[in-house]
Amino acid sequence: MPSLKNTEADPPPIRKKRQIIDGSLLVLSAFTALAGIAVFLSSGAGRALEIVADTFTFLAVLSPKIAAGIFIAATLPLMLPKEHVGRLIGRESGLRGLLIAAFCGAAIPGGPMMTFPIAAGLGVAGADLGAMIAFISGWSLLGLNRTLIWEFSFLPADLVWTRYLLSLPVPILLGLAVRTFLQVRK
Amino acid sequence: MNIIIGTFVIGAAAVLLWLKLPNGEWRLASYLASIDTFLFTAPRVLIALLGAGFFAELLPENEVRQLLGEEAGIAAVLLAVVLGPLTPGGAFVSFAIAAAALKTGASPVAAIAYVTSWSLFSTTKIFAYELSFMGRRATLLRILVSLPVPFVISGLSYAW
Repeated sequence: MPSLKNTEADPPPIRKKRQIIDGSLLVLSAFTALAGIAVFLSSGAGRALEIVADTFTFLAVLSPKIAAGIFIAATLPLMLPKEHVGRLIGRESGLRGLLIAAFCGAAIPGGPMMTFPIAAGLGVAGADLGAMIAFISGWSLLGLNRTLIWEFSFLPADLVWTRYLLSLPVPILLGLAVRTFLQVRK
Repeated sequence: MNIIIGTFVIGAAAVLLWLKLPNGEWRLASYLASIDTFLFTAPRVLIALLGAGFFAELLPENEVRQLLGEEAGIAAVLLAVVLGPLTPGGAFVSFAIAAAALKTGASPVAAIAYVTSWSLFSTTKIFAYELSFMGRRATLLRILVSLPVPFVISGLSYAW
């Protein structure tokens, strides 16, 4: 993979620590606590405990996948060559730039706290808005890590395939739409 | 079965990536980042899955079938598209809710509309990250061009 950094010579980048408890976690916790209480009241403690046990069994089955996914999500960004990507998907990059942007978006693991800073960074490095939106949409609709770890674990395979294949051209079409829109407005 | 295949693909990718780490310093940085990511992800996954489990138990089967089932047609797709962005939390929450709704009688087309709409328009993503990093103009433009997507995708999946 020549696209990765020449890591032998460079030291690894320093990561910022993330806040573990934030607003979204609190909202999620409140939602879960309320739902748990509602189940306890409507179906009794036995059923509520059964759901808890089922959840832990499911987590145990998922855990190797989650562990590998977490390792990828944490490590890949350390090694991503941001400057290189910016050159590949700049303003003059045409359809090829949109394809690369959408592909990079799909390949990038990790959540929005990673994707949007990278997208903004791409803009600084010379990518146009069309490519940035192809990148964000590629991540939103086609994120491989998310589909492989979560989507296939929860939803029927044929449904996941249908959604994924139908969404395949979308990031590129959205990138083209944005480029056309901006051209017309000029 | 899906879980096993996915585990192998992700596992192989992780091993490949680990082999790319050039030296001890990089490996240490990677482990520290992994621990940090684990501490961030683990409580969210646990709480979200518990919540989804409780939520599935509470879903009123008749109403789900009526509002999101095959019979509901376009209205089901519309409702699914509206519900998508309102889902709190990460990907696992939306997939777990879609799975629960499917089990209680929602149509696959509605599930696809819901997941697609969540992917593109999750309000958590937009308000917490996109607006602050991309700015208002880029965010609005993206939302505008993406608006037809959930409808087109679910329409095509119906025809599929």
